[in-house]
Amino acid sequence: MGDIGRVLNTTREAILSNLTALNVTGNNIANVDTPGYSRLRPEFGSTAIIDSSKEQGQFGIKITDIQRLYDKYLEAQMVQQEQAVGYNDAQMDVLNRVEGIFNESTGGGLNELLSKFWDAWSQLSANPTGITERDNLVSVSQSLASMFREKANELISIQSDTNNLVSDTVTELNKYIDEMVDLNTKIVETEISGGSAASTRDQRAELLKKISQIIDVNYYEEANGSLNIFISNGRSLVEGTNSWKLDVQPNPANSNYYDVFFQDTPGVPINNRLQGGKLAGLLDVRDTNVAGYLNDLNNMASTIINEVNTQHNSGYDLNGNVGGNFFSATSTLAKDMQVDPAIIADVTKVAASATVDSDGDNARLINNIKDSLLMAGGTSTIDNFYQTVIARLGNDVADAKSSLDHQTAIANQIQSERDAVSGVSIDEEMLNLIKYQAAYNAASRLAAIVNQMMSTLINLGIETAI
Amino acid sequence: MITRVTDKMKYDLLNNSIYNTQSQYGEIMEKMASQKQVNKPSDDPLGMGKILDYRTVKAQISSYKANIDSSKSWLSATESNLTNVNDILTKVKELAVAQASATATASTRQIAADSLQPLIDQMRSLANSKFGNRYLFSGTRTDTEPFAATSSTARIDAAVSASGNTFDGTVTSGGTYTGAVNKTYTVKIITGGTLAASTYQISADGGKTWGATQPAGGLSGPVTVGDGIDLTLTAGTVDLAANDMFYVHAYAPGYYNGNGEELSSEVGMGVTSNYNVTGEAAFTDQGGGTVNLFKVLDDLKTALENNDADGVRNQLDSLDQASEQINRYTAQCGTRTNGLDASNTALEDMDLRITGLTSNIEDADMAALITEYQKKQLALQATYKMAGDMGSISILNFLR
Repeated sequence: MGDIGRVLNTTREAILSNLTALNVTGNNIANVDTPGYSRLRPEFGSTAIIDSSKEQGQFGIKITDIQRLYDKYLEAQMVQQEQAVGYNDAQMDVLNRVEGIFNESTGGGLNELLSKFWDAWSQLSANPTGITERDNLVSVSQSLASMFREKANELISIQSDTNNLVSDTVTELNKYIDEMVDLNTKIVETEISGGSAASTRDQRAELLKKISQIIDVNYYEEANGSLNIFISNGRSLVEGTNSWKLDVQPNPANSNYYDVFFQDTPGVPINNRLQGGKLAGLLDVRDTNVAGYLNDLNNMASTIINEVNTQHNSGYDLNGNVGGNFFSATSTLAKDMQVDPAIIADVTKVAASATVDSDGDNARLINNIKDSLLMAGGTSTIDNFYQTVIARLGNDVADAKSSLDHQTAIANQIQSERDAVSGVSIDEEMLNLIKYQAAYNAASRLAAIVNQMMSTLINLGIETAI
Repeated sequence: MITRVTDKMKYDLLNNSIYNTQSQYGEIMEKMASQKQVNKPSDDPLGMGKILDYRTVKAQISSYKANIDSSKSWLSATESNLTNVNDILTKVKELAVAQASATATASTRQIAADSLQPLIDQMRSLANSKFGNRYLFSGTRTDTEPFAATSSTARIDAAVSASGNTFDGTVTSGGTYTGAVNKTYTVKIITGGTLAASTYQISADGGKTWGATQPAGGLSGPVTVGDGIDLTLTAGTVDLAANDMFYVHAYAPGYYNGNGEELSSEVGMGVTSNYNVTGEAAFTDQGGGTVNLFKVLDDLKTALENNDADGVRNQLDSLDQASEQINRYTAQCGTRTNGLDASNTALEDMDLRITGLTSNIEDADMAALITEYQKKQLALQATYKMAGDMGSISILNFLR
C-alpha cells in the first residue's frame, strides 16, 4: 500500500544523504594536500524493508558509514621505514660536515703539510747549519701542529654539536609522547561514544611516524582504540594514557657526552638498546664514527710527537747541546699539539746533527720516521695511515649516502603505495561530485514531482467540493 | 586491477625526480668545473686514498730530487776544486823535475822556491774553499777552515761547556793528544748533582756513540776522555744536571783542522749517499789518504831553499802519489755524480708514472662527462615539461 508522505520522506533521506556525500567529497578535496590524510568514503545503505504479503514496505536511504580508507600494514611498514631513514639521515648530516673538514681533494690539508714537514727535515739535513732551513722547518712544524689542533677541535665541536642534538631530540621525543597520550585519550573518548575519530587517527598515524623517526619502536592498538608504544628493550613509552619519558645525563666516562635514560631509571643508560631512528644515528655517529676519526688523529699526533722527540733528544743542536723536545710533550693529544716554545724562541735549538759537529744526520733520521711502520700495529707509515683514515671517512660517507638513498627510495615507494590507497584523487572526487550532484538533483526533482502530486491531491478535493 | 593514481603521488613523484636529477646534474657540473673525477673523499674513497698516497710519494720524490741536486752541486764544486789542485800539482811536478836535475843551481832553486809559494797558497785556498757558507773539505766540521798555513804539533782546543748547560762552573782541557786523526771528545752528564755525585758518559766521536756510564766521583778530578786528553770541571754556583755537555776538539799533528766524517743525504727511500770528500782523505795521509800534500810541498820548498837536490828528488815520488790521490777522489766525485744521476732518472720515471696514475683516478674524462651532462639536461628538461603540463591537464578543464 502506497503512501505519498513516505515518498516525500524517502526524497528527504536521498537529498540529505547525497548532501552528506557531497560534504565528504568536499572534505576530501579540501584535504588533498594534508599530510597523512586518509580519504573518506560515504557508504550508502538502503533502508528499504519490503513486506510483499501486505503489499506494503518502507523505502529509503541513509549513509551507513563514512569509511576511512587505510591500510594498517602499509602504515606499519612506513613506521618501520621512518626509523631507517631517520637513522641514516642523522648520520649523513654529521658525516657530511666531517667530510668537509677532511676534504683533501684540492690539497692544502694535513697530507700536504705532513709531506712538507718531512721535506723540511730533509732540507735541514742537507744544510744543517742553515738558519733559513731551520726557520722553514719550525714554521712548517707550527703549521702542522696548528692543522692537527684545528682538525681535532673541529671534530670535537662536531661531537659536541651532535651531543646537543641528542638532548634536543630527547626533548622533542618527550613532547611527542605527551601528544600521543593526548591523542590516545581523544580517540578513546570519541570512539566510546560511537563517534568517528578519523581525523584524530590520521594525526596519530603522523605522530607515530615522527616518533619512529627518532627512536625504533614497536606498537599495537588496543581494543579501545588506544595505541601502546614500546622500544626494543621492551620498555613502554606509551601505554594508553600512561607515558614514560626519556632524559639525558652527561657520562664522565665518555667526555661528559650524554647518555640516554628513562626518567624513572636514571642509572640505566639505554644507548645500546637504540638501533634505529635519529637518536641511535646521532649516538652512533658521535661515539663511533667521529670518535674514531678523533682517535686516529690523536694516534697520529702522539706518534709524531713521541717519535720526533725521541730522535730529537738523541741529537745535538747548533750549540752542541743535547736536543730537547721538538714538540711540546705536555700533552700528546692532537688538540694540544704544539712546537716546543724553546724551539720557536731559538731555532738553533733544533737538533739537526748526530754529533756536536754539523753533520745533519739527526735531521735525516727524523726525516726517516716517515718511512717507519709505526701505525696500525706496525703495518703502516704515518702518511699511509692518514690516507686510510681519509679513505675510510669517504667510505663511511658513501655508505651512509647510499643507505640513505636506498632507504628513502623504499620510504617513497611505501608512501606511494599508501597514497594509492589513502590519498585523494581530484579526478575521482570530481566524478563523485558529478555523481552525487546528479543524485541530489534527481532527488530534488522527485520532491518537486511529489509536490505536484500533493497539489493534485489537494485540488482534487477542492473540485469535489465545488 | 585499476591502480589509483592520486594527485599527491604525482606531485611527490615529480618532486623526487626533479630533486634527483638536479643533484646528479649538480655533481656532473662540479666535476666539469673542477675537471676532476674525485672532488670529495666519498666520490671514490679508495681512489682518494690512492691520490693522497701518490701525492705523498710525489712530495718525497721532489724532496729526494732536491737532495740529489744539492749533493750534485757540492760534488761538482769538489770535483772542479780537485781538478784545479791536480793542475797545480802538475806544475809543481814540472818545477821539481827541473830542479832535481844536476843542471839546477842554488839560484834557480831559490827562484823555484819563490815561485812555489804562490802555488802552495793557491792550493790551500782551493782546499779551504767554501760551498755556500760551508767548507767543502772539513768533514762535518763545516764551519771550521780545514787547512792551516803551517803545520802544528798535536794540540787540543779549549774545552767548551755547551751553552744550554745548567752547570755554571768552568771546564778546562789538559794533556797531550796522542791520536792519529782529528777527533771531538764529549762528556755528557747522566745524573746531575755536585761534581762528586754526578755520573757521566764519554764519547770519542762527537756524541754519536757513548761509552758506559761512569760511576760518581770521576768528575771530582781531571777526567781522562781518551788519547791523552783530560777535562777538568770546576764547580760554580749551580750543580750539574742531566744532559749537560762538555766537549773538546783534538787535532793530530799536521795542517788539518777538520775531521774525517762524511756528509750524507737521503736520495731515495732508505738510500743515503755520501757527498763530501774529506780534506783528511784527499790532502793528508790519514783516513784513506797516503800522502800529506801540504807537507810534501813545504818539504819541497825547504829542500829548494836549502839547495838540497836529493831532498827535491825525494819529493818526486810523493808528488806522483799526491797526484794519484787527488785523481782518485776526483774520480770518486764523478762516480757519485753518475750514481746520483741514475737515481735522479729513476725518480723522474717514477714521478711521471705516478702523475699518470694520479691522473687516471683523479682527472675527469671530459668527453664522457659532457655526454652525461647532456643526458641529465635532457632528463631535467623532460621533468620540467612534465611539471609545466601537470597543472593544465585536469578533469576540471572538461567539466563545465
